[in-house]
Amino acid sequence: MTDIQPPYKILVVDDEPDLQPLVQQRMRRYVRSGRYQFVFAHNGVEALQCLREDEEIVIVLSDINMPKMDGLALLDQIPKVNPNIRSVIISAYGDMKNIRTAMNRGAFDFVTKPVDFDDLKLTIDRTLQQLLEWRDALGARDRLVALQNELNVASQMQQSILPKRFPKGAGYEVYASMKPARSVGGDFFDVMRLEGGLLGLAVADVSDKGVPAALFMMSSRTLLKGAAIGLGKPSEVLGEVNNLLCEDNETAMFVTLIYAVYDPSTRMLTFANGGHNPPVLVDAEGNTKRLPLTGGVALGLVPDLEYAQTSITLSPGDHVVLYTDGVTEAMNEDEEEYGMARLEGLFAQSTPSSAREVNEKVVGSVMEFAGDAAQSDDITCMTMRAKGHDH
Amino acid sequence: MELTSENANGAVIVKAVGRVDGANARDFHEGLESSIGADGKSMVLDFAGLSYISSAGLRVVLLVAKSLQQRNAKLAVCSLTESIREVFEISGFDKIVPVYANSSEAVSGLEI
Repeated sequence: MTDIQPPYKILVVDDEPDLQPLVQQRMRRYVRSGRYQFVFAHNGVEALQCLREDEEIVIVLSDINMPKMDGLALLDQIPKVNPNIRSVIISAYGDMKNIRTAMNRGAFDFVTKPVDFDDLKLTIDRTLQQLLEWRDALGARDRLVALQNELNVASQMQQSILPKRFPKGAGYEVYASMKPARSVGGDFFDVMRLEGGLLGLAVADVSDKGVPAALFMMSSRTLLKGAAIGLGKPSEVLGEVNNLLCEDNETAMFVTLIYAVYDPSTRMLTFANGGHNPPVLVDAEGNTKRLPLTGGVALGLVPDLEYAQTSITLSPGDHVVLYTDGVTEAMNEDEEEYGMARLEGLFAQSTPSSAREVNEKVVGSVMEFAGDAAQSDDITCMTMRAKGHDH
Repeated sequence: MELTSENANGAVIVKAVGRVDGANARDFHEGLESSIGADGKSMVLDFAGLSYISSAGLRVVLLVAKSLQQRNAKLAVCSLTESIREVFEISGFDKIVPVYANSSEAVSGLEI
């Protein structure tokens, strides 16, 4: 949408020869000041030709009775040439039938003959004012659409950095998903093959949502990957990422992060928790228990923190479920929270047999619980299933 | 979410009632900042009436703590309900912002 600027070009359409000199005479002050410019046509066919050749015309001022194509037929044709033109009809005094027809066909206003030029000037000003506001609104809408397109690209970029295919080892399988509440989210997860056949697992949640969270999420994820590959021990990884995030963090953004390393040869899972929801363990009989917190603070807040880590040995058939608070704090239409109790009771009397089954059951249960309530937070869940060596 | 503030022994006690989430975190922030005032008194956030606080709300708590620190003042929170206490414990915020059982303990704990 190009901005329109003075002189505003107005097309006057009338078959009678006396209107053109009158308009030029009575409106000359506004033409001379550079506000308006008038062009003339003598019937609807000529008028359409003018509109096609001159895109600067913003208002059409038209008589109704004309040869070849009358004013009412012209009104039907104008939007096909340019939908952003406003039309004002000149009609005989008291001709309400034609005026109504003209208004129904999209005329913005009308003036009556004999033309009162003060009234015509006011009518043109009012029409132009409405047109300028309309074009402003269209421009705003276009900018909004452009912004939405950029958000969609950002959303695709964000989703594209999340692993979609999960590493399969002899001793484990992994499945994960992230469902953002808005175009872009603040949650992420990662699965990394580390040296010595180890597996690195991370689930994280950046404070707040939207674009600032997405930016912080991208840098958190990169720093985590670097630290995970370079350092190894979950406690050291969290300490390092925390220090890096604390540098220049004036906005007090933070990320809660759980990072775990699994050794399939010993089935030992070692994890450190930086302010994140405790993982849940679901065994082969569907028994569920919460893994302990390790007392860590969310990352990015206070530098030089020591993070603790805890190790547990898994049994074949155990599932470790990492998730964000979008799972436990999901709300239904009655504003009830999903809560830990529902998550911990989800697998009772079941014998879960794959990471994907467990993961999809958690997310499905949350979505079913939330029903038609608007999703207020990103929902992220990752499940790792430990397998025996003979599987 | 509603905020009411009162002065007590040189500190400002701000009671927050309702929910703080992403939608009203900005209001929460502006409300707290306006309660700080020019004299730079320490602040106690009384969360007895708070039913929910999201990470966006926690971030505001931290921003206000930083803002007070620059004025040589402190921030404490008190009277956490069970669910809010859990949020503070899981996120580790209880290790960054001092937590007290009630507002009078908070005021004396801040050594005002």
